[in-house]
Amino acid sequence: MQDGVVLTTLDDFLNWGRKNSLWPMTFGLACCAIEMMATGAAKYDLERFGCGAFMATPRRSDLMIVAGTVTLKMATRVKMLYEQMAEPKYVISMGSCANKGGPYWQYGYHVLKGVDEVVPVDVYVPGCPPRPEALIEGVMTLQKKIANERLLRNKWVKHA
Amino acid sequence: MHKELSDLINRNVQGANAVAFIPADSKKFDGSITVEASHIYKVIEFLKNNKETSFNSLHTQSGVDYLDYMEVCYMLTNYDPTAPRNVIIKVKLTDRVNPTVDTIVPLFAAANFQEREIYDMFGIKFNNHPDMRRILCPDDWSGWPLRKDYIAQKDYNGMTVYPDDKMNFEDRDFIVRQDMIKKAQSEKAQ
Repeated sequence: MQDGVVLTTLDDFLNWGRKNSLWPMTFGLACCAIEMMATGAAKYDLERFGCGAFMATPRRSDLMIVAGTVTLKMATRVKMLYEQMAEPKYVISMGSCANKGGPYWQYGYHVLKGVDEVVPVDVYVPGCPPRPEALIEGVMTLQKKIANERLLRNKWVKHA
Repeated sequence: MHKELSDLINRNVQGANAVAFIPADSKKFDGSITVEASHIYKVIEFLKNNKETSFNSLHTQSGVDYLDYMEVCYMLTNYDPTAPRNVIIKVKLTDRVNPTVDTIVPLFAAANFQEREIYDMFGIKFNNHPDMRRILCPDDWSGWPLRKDYIAQKDYNGMTVYPDDKMNFEDRDFIVRQDMIKKAQSEKAQ
């Protein structure tokens, strides 16, 4: 019982730190990236949620926002970038193309049918492209998800 | 204009065999000039360097698949402010499986990427091109996507192109399109 009480408090403390300093990667693929930039800029100000520090390298970032069409040519690169990120790492799939292929899902020979084919996705943000409010909603959903993580039972510690 | 231009080409380039296509309704369709594929370099060179025509810009270059032959179109423009004009030169490639045509990169450097894209999408090879590689598709991609009989490959680098659980194969009419191609071919044969 004592352990449980201590661990729960530690969980909350670590999760609080993690969810309020999510650093996304500077990484845009298509038109959704324009909305992502707008979300990071002054009017919508992603920094309010501790999520505005777009890192220029995958090794310093916690969050990958896959913003745009993932072509088959790009998919191997996306996977490589994801593998370079340090754990804990999270993925937001932004827009219809990254979710399920978007307008190319039926005839697009060159488009990956959803980025979840190559990397595990935490939050899907629908829209074509999603408005900045929708991306903020996605980020907040991810923060709620992080807040409910358990340190000893979560996926990161298990594989360590 | 196309008639005079094709006559001019025939007079100055031996064996070009230029034929002008003049549409009945010139407001709806563009006219064009078809020349021999083996003489395309000489024709473009003549049209560029000749004082009368002096087409000094390659507007567009594109490939077309007509099911029984391939075609490459060259759209040349003259930016002379007093008499601006443009013309479409076409080349018919009868070998549809391995079509080849001479490059015009020495004349217009803008043709470099255009010809690479035509090669990428249609598989038309350009002789003497300085850098004949695919431009958009990955280098290890198979097939020519804009050909009418193209069917996409199943896998690429371990990724499934059309995953079973994400597709609606009943709605996808690749098979219907194949039927359309066969129907068109049989109609032409009759």
